[in-house]
Amino acid sequence: MLKTNYTKSILKVLSIILVIFQLSCVQNKKRENIIVASAGKIESLDPAQANTLRTLQILSALGDTLYKINKEGNIYPSLAKELPQVSKNGLLIDIPLRKNISFHDGSIFNAKAMKFSLERFMEIGTLKYLLNDKIEAIEIKDEFVLRIKLKKPSSSIKSLLTSVNLTPVSPNSYSDYKDKFNNKSFVGTGPYFLKNFNSSQQIIKPFNNYWGDKPLNKGIDFINYSNSSTLFGAIKTKQVDVLIANSIADMHRLSLNNMVKKDKLNSGESAPKSIGYITFKSNSLPLSNQKIRKALLYTIDRKLISQRVSFGTREPLYSIAPPKFYKKKFSPWPFYKPKLARTLLKEEGYCENNILNIPLTFRSTVPADKNLALIWQEQIKRDLSDCLKITLNGVESTTVYDQLSKGSFEAVILDWTGDFSDPIAYLAPLLSCNNIKNNTCLEGEAVFSGSFWGNKEVQELFKKSEELEGESRLNTFIKIEQIAEQGSSYLPVWLIKPKAWSLKDISQPEFSGDGLIILKNLKRN
Amino acid sequence: MSSKKKLFKYILARLALLPIMLGIISSLVFILLRIAPGDPVDAILGTRANELARESLRIKLGLDKPLINQYLEYLNQLLHGNLGTSLNTQEPVKEIISKALPASIELAIFAILIASLLGYLIGFLGAVKPEGKIDFLGRIFGIGTYALPPFWAAMLIQIIFSVLLGWFPIGGRLPPGASPPNPITGFIFFDSILNLNIKMIFSSIEHLILPSVTLGILLSGIFSRSLRLNLEAVLKKDYIEAAKSRGIKDSRILIKHALPNTMLPILTITGLTISSLIGGALLIEITFSWPGIALGLKEAINQRDYPVVQGIVVIISSIVVMISVGIDIAIAYIDPRVSY
Repeated sequence: MLKTNYTKSILKVLSIILVIFQLSCVQNKKRENIIVASAGKIESLDPAQANTLRTLQILSALGDTLYKINKEGNIYPSLAKELPQVSKNGLLIDIPLRKNISFHDGSIFNAKAMKFSLERFMEIGTLKYLLNDKIEAIEIKDEFVLRIKLKKPSSSIKSLLTSVNLTPVSPNSYSDYKDKFNNKSFVGTGPYFLKNFNSSQQIIKPFNNYWGDKPLNKGIDFINYSNSSTLFGAIKTKQVDVLIANSIADMHRLSLNNMVKKDKLNSGESAPKSIGYITFKSNSLPLSNQKIRKALLYTIDRKLISQRVSFGTREPLYSIAPPKFYKKKFSPWPFYKPKLARTLLKEEGYCENNILNIPLTFRSTVPADKNLALIWQEQIKRDLSDCLKITLNGVESTTVYDQLSKGSFEAVILDWTGDFSDPIAYLAPLLSCNNIKNNTCLEGEAVFSGSFWGNKEVQELFKKSEELEGESRLNTFIKIEQIAEQGSSYLPVWLIKPKAWSLKDISQPEFSGDGLIILKNLKRN
Repeated sequence: MSSKKKLFKYILARLALLPIMLGIISSLVFILLRIAPGDPVDAILGTRANELARESLRIKLGLDKPLINQYLEYLNQLLHGNLGTSLNTQEPVKEIISKALPASIELAIFAILIASLLGYLIGFLGAVKPEGKIDFLGRIFGIGTYALPPFWAAMLIQIIFSVLLGWFPIGGRLPPGASPPNPITGFIFFDSILNLNIKMIFSSIEHLILPSVTLGILLSGIFSRSLRLNLEAVLKKDYIEAAKSRGIKDSRILIKHALPNTMLPILTITGLTISSLIGGALLIEITFSWPGIALGLKEAINQRDYPVVQGIVVIISSIVVMISVGIDIAIAYIDPRVSY
């Protein structure tokens, strides 16, 4: 009897505690701000240092750029009043700026502020080489007209000016940060101002004096969780309102997509922004033999791999730059043809008791890369076991990046996201080279990418592309892709689309042309 | 020399060894980090920055200086109590640690409390009635929890209690969007009490429950097994038999004679466990996105943020040495037979 009463008492106490906890949960759910979750901490809010998707995402809400890119991939003015006016010789660019725009600290946005921000980026920006290679000087033509003097004509500068890294900051608030990073605060012109910042949580609120369309929500809380299963659980249990897909495991993506199909979640996605590819080291045997590299291009069944690794959520890729840039169907890299691979390998003396062994390195911290490596290995075992063997080698990411330019990897799986929306932001980091000897790159981006493949015609085409516009510029990039395919030093595998999911009481996430969520359009229904 | 004087001398000797130990540890960490492949410049700039940008950042961060100069500079800073500045965020390492360490300590305190209550209770009940039902289940529990992979157990608990049942938050220290209470101790739970913020007290407990219970359960197995085995051994000693033959009550024998004699190994195990938890429970912190020192250390290692890694290791080592000295003092206090 006594025992029963004792048990009852314990159960009562536990029930009360649970009810209190549940009540506090309910209180949390009545939130004003929209909670957006993703992986990865934000260590710095300085646009001159930003290099993670999460940082770029929040900066895109706190600031504006001179130009933006729409969903169709076209540039349109944002802080600029109209498209840039380029001089006949292509060396002067005049940018008329909008008037009556103020920073979050109340100071006025004008050409002086823009000059300050661009020069600051050119002084301390981690990607400053993007501008320093192109810009000779920045001048104030008029209070609201900025003039950029170029070292040489550059058609890519317009796309570059859409980069979130070039978001202007208030000269008043950044006077002490001309030559150093301001990590903990941000004062820009965007639709939101920064209310609270720490590395794992940031709160932004609508800026009342914003010059453009006002946000449709009362503020955004950015939070981070350290792993995919927690992020997945957070949206499933409605503890967060919006989930950004970076670092979400493919298995969880599939479950989230199924929830969308069952009308339990909304989702939105952007045109692909990141590419996954394999680099072959072209300056030492056996992969210095172009025919062998070419044979490898035929061995990968992208559709099967995409299905097995990502349940079809990653799109097979047959070019280096995402095909959306070319505005037409374009697949310079070959499809899966194991018979042709066998023929090429036989011609080079492999097969029939001579099996070519290729060590394939993958970043052990990236599950999708590991799965890609495993499935490609098995697929080759199935199709070409008498000719080719893939040996896997998992290496921590930071070590991979450090060792790439030292030529440590015969073949390595990597990914890349362009710094701005333009084919050159994908092609140049893999293919540009300053010093080429016998198709081997001795100095330049191709060394840092680990391929060491250099082609003089490609370098000429890069130069030429800077002087061209429109279709003829795109055709130059198409030609570069075709030459790169012949070089066979890269094997594009898949495209990764930025994606986000939201609860049903939140509007569907919309993306801008540069693959970032338009946060001000998120609305609680 | 009296035993108190001996103990005092021993403590002084141990504390005098602390700077030497820290010197050796910090030097080892410094060297190992530099030997390890990877470059902090890559972590900050990404892999595509050109050589000029990389070189200028290397100069700015002082990484261009000869290694011996970097080492001497580091030791000099350390001697002046300066742990340096993060390469990645330019934030003082002291500040980074002061934010992350309380989270780990808070988690460790609650986890140890749960582990002690659960583990020692199960171990005690098992030892009192050896080979009984409770003892059998306790043994399975002890071995089972010890054998469970922490990440798997944590994920399972998270899925059941947070995702499926929705009883507890999925992770973090506070609800999304909530501002922490005014920092007094750095421990959100205690700060909430000191700020008399009732809602925050419940919130902090709510967020603490899953990670601390998971960690507590995983540790309780060691505690229950060690108490069970030690108590069983003590209960077979001659003086216990003698006490029984004198007609002393079983409960008195247990509490007055047997338990105190099992305290030495138990105290040592508890001390070692606390020491290991001060460094954070990495897999628990990752699973529950608990912003503790282990998660911070992992991120700093990934980014090759040398000063942060060195700073965290030095602080953790100091605390471990302090705890170990503390345990030695406690043992000497409890057991007069211990000589130094």
